[in-house]
Amino acid sequence: MAVRANPDLIEELDHFGAHDAMKCYQCGNCTAACSHAEDASTYPRRSIHYLQMGLEKPLRSTLDPWLCYYCGKCSEQCPRGAEPGETMMGIRRWLTAEYDFTGIARRLYKSWTAELAAVLALALLTGIGFLAFGFLRGGGNLAVYDGPGAFLPAHSVHIFDWTMGITLAILLNYNCVRMWQFTMRNENALPVRPGLYLRHLLLLPEHFFTQKRLRACENKTPWVTHMVLMFSYLTMLALIMLFLKDMQSGPQVNWYVHFFGYLSAIGLVTTSILAIRGRIKKTEPYQQHSHESDWMFLGLLLFVSVTGVVQHVAHRMGMPTTANVVYVIHMMGVVPMLVLEVPFSKWSHLAYRPLAIYFSALQQAARAEGAVPFGEPAKPRPAA
Amino acid sequence: MAEERIGVYVCNCGTNISKVVDVEAVAASAQAIPGVAIGRAYKYMCSNPGQEMIVQDIQEHGLTRVVVASCSPRMHEATFRGAIKRAGLNPYMLEMANIREQCSWIHSDVVAATEKAKALVHAAVQRVKFDEPLESRTAPMCASTLVIGGGVTGLTAALELADAGQQVFLVEKQDHLGGNVARLDLTAPHLDSAQDILQSWISRVERHPNIRLFLNSELTALKGFNGNFKPTLRTEDGEPLELDAGSVLVCTGYKEFDASRIEQYGYGRLPDVITSFELEAMLRQGKLETKSGKQPRYVSIIHCVGSRSQEFHRYCSRVCCATALKYALEVKSALPGARVANLYTDMEAFGKGCEDFYRQCAEAKTSFMMYAKDQLPTIRAAAPGDGCGMLITIKEQLSGQEIEMPADLVVLMVSMEPREDAGDMARLVNISCDKDGWFIESHPKLDPVATTTDGVYIAGACQFPRDIPESVTQGRAAVARILAKVAQGQITVDAMYSEVQDKLCAGCQTCFSVCPYGAIEYNAEKHISHIISAVCKACGCCAVACPAGAIKVRHYTDEEIYAQIEGVL
Repeated sequence: MAVRANPDLIEELDHFGAHDAMKCYQCGNCTAACSHAEDASTYPRRSIHYLQMGLEKPLRSTLDPWLCYYCGKCSEQCPRGAEPGETMMGIRRWLTAEYDFTGIARRLYKSWTAELAAVLALALLTGIGFLAFGFLRGGGNLAVYDGPGAFLPAHSVHIFDWTMGITLAILLNYNCVRMWQFTMRNENALPVRPGLYLRHLLLLPEHFFTQKRLRACENKTPWVTHMVLMFSYLTMLALIMLFLKDMQSGPQVNWYVHFFGYLSAIGLVTTSILAIRGRIKKTEPYQQHSHESDWMFLGLLLFVSVTGVVQHVAHRMGMPTTANVVYVIHMMGVVPMLVLEVPFSKWSHLAYRPLAIYFSALQQAARAEGAVPFGEPAKPRPAA
Repeated sequence: MAEERIGVYVCNCGTNISKVVDVEAVAASAQAIPGVAIGRAYKYMCSNPGQEMIVQDIQEHGLTRVVVASCSPRMHEATFRGAIKRAGLNPYMLEMANIREQCSWIHSDVVAATEKAKALVHAAVQRVKFDEPLESRTAPMCASTLVIGGGVTGLTAALELADAGQQVFLVEKQDHLGGNVARLDLTAPHLDSAQDILQSWISRVERHPNIRLFLNSELTALKGFNGNFKPTLRTEDGEPLELDAGSVLVCTGYKEFDASRIEQYGYGRLPDVITSFELEAMLRQGKLETKSGKQPRYVSIIHCVGSRSQEFHRYCSRVCCATALKYALEVKSALPGARVANLYTDMEAFGKGCEDFYRQCAEAKTSFMMYAKDQLPTIRAAAPGDGCGMLITIKEQLSGQEIEMPADLVVLMVSMEPREDAGDMARLVNISCDKDGWFIESHPKLDPVATTTDGVYIAGACQFPRDIPESVTQGRAAVARILAKVAQGQITVDAMYSEVQDKLCAGCQTCFSVCPYGAIEYNAEKHISHIISAVCKACGCCAVACPAGAIKVRHYTDEEIYAQIEGVL
């Protein structure tokens, strides 16, 4: 079956950061240099070739870009300066937009002004909303931070957090289902029986928590910073979602909130500063090219971490008004960051990467069992 | 015959000969042949001491004839002729026995090889006894040159010759100069304008006092020989004109492949499938659009149309890859929104600067799709809902995918092929064509612009697909050859040629029909054939064909040949 090419695909991908893909002349040095490429997944070469030829559908159905961790070896080896690593990064952004059914991701990635406007609008909305809530339905007094008359009572914020969390999780999950449809239910994919889905299910938590594929890259630094960032983030998430009451209960704060809170705050601030510094100085190969969305993500992360710390310091130093004001400012960063990043941008890869490893393992298992792609007629059973 | 004193020299050629042939035994057996005064074996006969040995023997022992048993005469005959000439002998009093290529290199049995070497030496000794002293002669060299073809090669050559002060007759079939280059817009890889390149030359050619330009004219006959040709032209006014020219330079160029021969490309049937030359015309007019007057959004360029194909031309046309890259950039520059795809078989960006050009083209976001030579893409008109004019189906080699490529304009990179009148031209000037119809050079590496006919040269794309720099280089190379001859002022006629013994000739003209060099004239008054010694290459065809045995080949007389045969037996 002939695949219709979309010659405009390369222009589309240009907006997602794949600026140099057309320089590639398919020598394959990138694939040879990659420590992850296998016979079945000859990336980055294959994905770049799909892109060059405008093969939109095959590119949408490939898992390869998620299996690449951008160590940058390929870009160092490329004789044409085609930046295969950055091209894979661009394809990942494009895939995020493709998986997203709302079309918001595409708009944010393609337009810096749209992204900025969305962040500012959400921040403004959050600020106004929280202030209005504090004055009208909350404690009503900006000078009370904790205790019974708190300006923003913990249980109300808690309800808000959970509402937002569940909404975002639903959106992300729906995008994950679309990812499954694109990558596992196309004519070149192999049908996978339910038993296999079950048997390999543990791959998801395994790769989510260890990120061992990233560790397999030659350069180990990204794995370390990435792990620190992710665990700091998860710790903070757990504290906020499950122990928010303890964080704001009164002058007396539980030891574990302190301990884990400080640990994760240090992790978040340090890694975001390191990442921003790396991108400014272009230290690592993967920091050579930065898309607008990269700056936005890191900027918001640092903003949220720092305002979180400041709010805590103000609280501990007995400055409840400052603490309340900074809390609102903090939330003006948190809400846009999570709403935009989790289902529509950078944070979504937390879901897509383990899923891609899982799906790819399922495809391998199905191949080992002799499954035939959807698009091909079933093999006749060998005569008994 | 008794007074002949023959010297026989057997070469070891290092160990090339001596490891299989007992050279001392060969020398000793030669010495026993009546008439042989000296038989010697030596390490390297061609070396200076080896040659000196022969010279000294001739002078001290009064040798009259010499046999050298060594390598092929193609290798060192000239060396040894020079040596015996230095010693005062006529250079044609030499025979060579090839005991290397024809003996030691192809045999391993030492005894049998030695016997064979003895027989070959014996044959050479018997032949050398009949060798006659021969003298080469000279003929006058006319300084003017006939240049056929006013394309970029002919223009270059004509200007170069004329600037050197020589008379040039430049003949062009069309009513204007410039040839195929005049049909181009820009040139790869520097994107210079072809018109700019040509215009300064054309205006100089038109005004040059040493150039006589004949437009709308063609060569109808060429008589005479090297240094003394008599070309006849049919000029613009239809009158025949006979000229005198010492040399003839053929630079008649090429024509393009007829794209309609490849059915699945739909050329002639699909209006927006065009050839590279049609695109050049569009680019020159600055009007890049489809037949319906729209700006094409998707432009596909198909490479190797007629080239590198089992069915049409097996050779690569060489210039099309760089030209296709040029089109990609020109289209991008004219229509920035257009998407350009190159459908290629292999990218041959070989010229100076062309690899960078290839990269530049890739950086301009041109896509490249590879098809197999035996699986050509097919083009069909698109349906109204497809959003494009045509759809190209290609089995893409690097991905293994069958791809449908949208296209509004398809450019076919038609191959270069010999002009339809190349065969007629070859017959007129007495040169040969290869199996594809290109003119054959004298030697593909060492003599690329000369032909087998002395005084007739070829340059540019009449010999094989050439780009502009190569054509210009070849034109100038041919001029260097011609000016070297002109500088000598005369031509040397080799001492070996065939002669008609007038008394024996019956005038049957059989020789005329077999001569591959056009060296034979028929004298209608005397009813006999005459061989132009300057044209004759002493191949011997006429001597064999002559029913009366009236033709004698100098240095290959019947006596010499019979003696050699007797000798080897």
